[in-house]
Amino acid sequence: MRDSKSSLLLLISLILFLMSFIILCTWGYNTYYKKKEENRKPVLTLNDSTIISNATKAIATATRDSLQKVYAATVKELDSKLDSTWDYADSLKGPLDEKLNDFFKLRNEITSILKDKNNTDNLGIARQKITELQKRVEELSGRNKDVELENNRLYAMLKQLSNNIKEPEQQNVRPVVFDNKPESTILPVKNNISKTINAYIISDLKLSALIETDNNKVIETYQAIETDMLTGSFTLKNDNGPNNNIEVIIVVIQPDGKVLQKSSWESGTFTSVEGKKIYSCKMKFDVTKGEAKRLNFSLTSDKYVKGNYIMQVYHNGMIIGKLIKLLS
Amino acid sequence: MFKVFEKHLFLLGCVCVFGTSILFAQNNLKLKYNKSEIYAGIEVGSKGVKMSLIEINRDNQKNLDFNILKDSSVNTDFISFTQPVFQATLISLKGLYNSAINDYKLTPQKIFTVISSGVKIQAEKVEKSIWIRNLIDSFKASINEPSRQVEIVDVLQEAKLSHLGIVPSSRRYNTFLIDIGSGNTKGGYFPNGNISDFKLFQLSWGTKSTANATEKRLEEDKTITNFHKQLYRVLSGSANDEITYAVNLSNAYNMSDNIAFSGGITWSVATLINPELIENSVIPVTYDEVEKFYERIFINYHSLSGDEIVKTITDQTLNKTIISKEVKRVNQVFDQQSLLAGTGLLLKIMRQFEGIYEKKQFYLVKNGQVGWVSAYVDQSISNQSVAK
Repeated sequence: MRDSKSSLLLLISLILFLMSFIILCTWGYNTYYKKKEENRKPVLTLNDSTIISNATKAIATATRDSLQKVYAATVKELDSKLDSTWDYADSLKGPLDEKLNDFFKLRNEITSILKDKNNTDNLGIARQKITELQKRVEELSGRNKDVELENNRLYAMLKQLSNNIKEPEQQNVRPVVFDNKPESTILPVKNNISKTINAYIISDLKLSALIETDNNKVIETYQAIETDMLTGSFTLKNDNGPNNNIEVIIVVIQPDGKVLQKSSWESGTFTSVEGKKIYSCKMKFDVTKGEAKRLNFSLTSDKYVKGNYIMQVYHNGMIIGKLIKLLS
Repeated sequence: MFKVFEKHLFLLGCVCVFGTSILFAQNNLKLKYNKSEIYAGIEVGSKGVKMSLIEINRDNQKNLDFNILKDSSVNTDFISFTQPVFQATLISLKGLYNSAINDYKLTPQKIFTVISSGVKIQAEKVEKSIWIRNLIDSFKASINEPSRQVEIVDVLQEAKLSHLGIVPSSRRYNTFLIDIGSGNTKGGYFPNGNISDFKLFQLSWGTKSTANATEKRLEEDKTITNFHKQLYRVLSGSANDEITYAVNLSNAYNMSDNIAFSGGITWSVATLINPELIENSVIPVTYDEVEKFYERIFINYHSLSGDEIVKTITDQTLNKTIISKEVKRVNQVFDQQSLLAGTGLLLKIMRQFEGIYEKKQFYLVKNGQVGWVSAYVDQSISNQSVAK
């Protein structure tokens, strides 16, 4: 009797252990795969099979490091140039897009070559590709100058046109930008042109991904997985409007198409000429005639995905500046 | 010897199953923060008993960051103070408490039980305060926890806790929070830059009381046109006098940059005005937006149905099923008349802050109902830590 009792107790204990084991396994499985998915980081491995191969690799690494420096400098140079290139670039967007695609393709190829530490043969190819990349950057900066020249020409032309319209009508009419109605209802023009008749001129757009290091330093990164925060800045000049306090709206679109919001208290919706849109944050400031103001904002998210981040700046429901930032 | 070993083995097995099931139950909840703890706040309110499972972020020491994991409620109408309702409230209270312990594996120390100010006020008004005492004693006896604390929160404490729970600390001292309830409106702000001083704001008008006052004026003509007309009269009459007086007395216009509204009507207006921001707990709005929405309820109520609202959404990244479901929930809670009454009252209060030169920023808070419970839980945890 006692034996059967103790066997029963033993059996129940075993069942309990088995149950807890199954529950733990299920939980562990879920957690492991969830974490794995979230924290998928590129892992660089070192093969230390022989001393000779290590020595060869050290030389290759030194070459790779110098190449990486050249590459980083080239990418950085282009990034700063892109900020202003994208601004007012809508009219020349097609060819520019093509060139940029070539550039990004080339950049990705170089990144993958430089990442592959085991393969030293491709370093020559990497050097060749970096030279090509530098050439492309030069081409793009030349293109940037073209865009700026074109922009100045259009701006001058439109200024003259709007003066011609104003003269026969009312002399004391306020600029369209300060009317309560959306500009499109007053002067139906295409977006890329309308922004130049706005009283405000935007320039030097910049969107940077930042990483906070262990010693509380903030440095720029180009990797989505490393990003802790996005910061943006731009210069807004009150070209011919009166002294006023104005409001600009910032929209940062993530690669999945969703708008990156600063917080529930700081983000919301607004009516643009394209319809109702969600905005990331708003900025209000005073600006006097002829004054140029440098404005900054920052956005944080739990997770950043790879791809293009589009920053748009709106005023009075119209887009006045745009920039694309790639995080790899 | 073997017997002792078997006993230990059995006990160890039980502990393992218990431990892993806790882990499993809590892991099933969709947590938002990396470092957080789960608490339950059970509140006996005027309409019923409500349990909020709250995840409190332990990473953020400055702000109270919380995430609502689950919201369960049982409608019992406790303030009618009848024997069947008393029993129903007691059963609900015990049921939700047991659910927190058994289903979510929370320890009694992580479960907070409170009686809301609405119940207290109503009980005092009809001299039934003893019913609250009896409910608390019966609850303690039924769960076999004689030392359990069931606090009766007063209106000032509730308004202050709501502010602390809803408004982020960066906006704490320049935000006036107004909670529009069904029978009254309460709120306030911190005028002196500290959380000790709180300026209370109260109105005897709420969504339901405004709708009731309007209905009384309808007589034979029960049409929505007449309701709209009579509502205008109600809001322009004694309601207007009280609102103007209370806002002036509060001095909130001079002291606040942000005016935040919470309460059931606020949740419904926020959901219908900005369905695109369905996932956001707070929606910034302008006076003009709410005014247009008020006219839309009257003229084009059909456009506020789930199907019609979803049709207007062009953003492909938004989940239309969730939006449609939430809009339908709003339409179930508020019909056209109560939506008009509540929005009319909201507009009337907003109007007091809509200056010609100085514009205030208005916010509609959707999850206001759990704000004060969350702050209560947070405060209780802090007090427990200090006591230790």
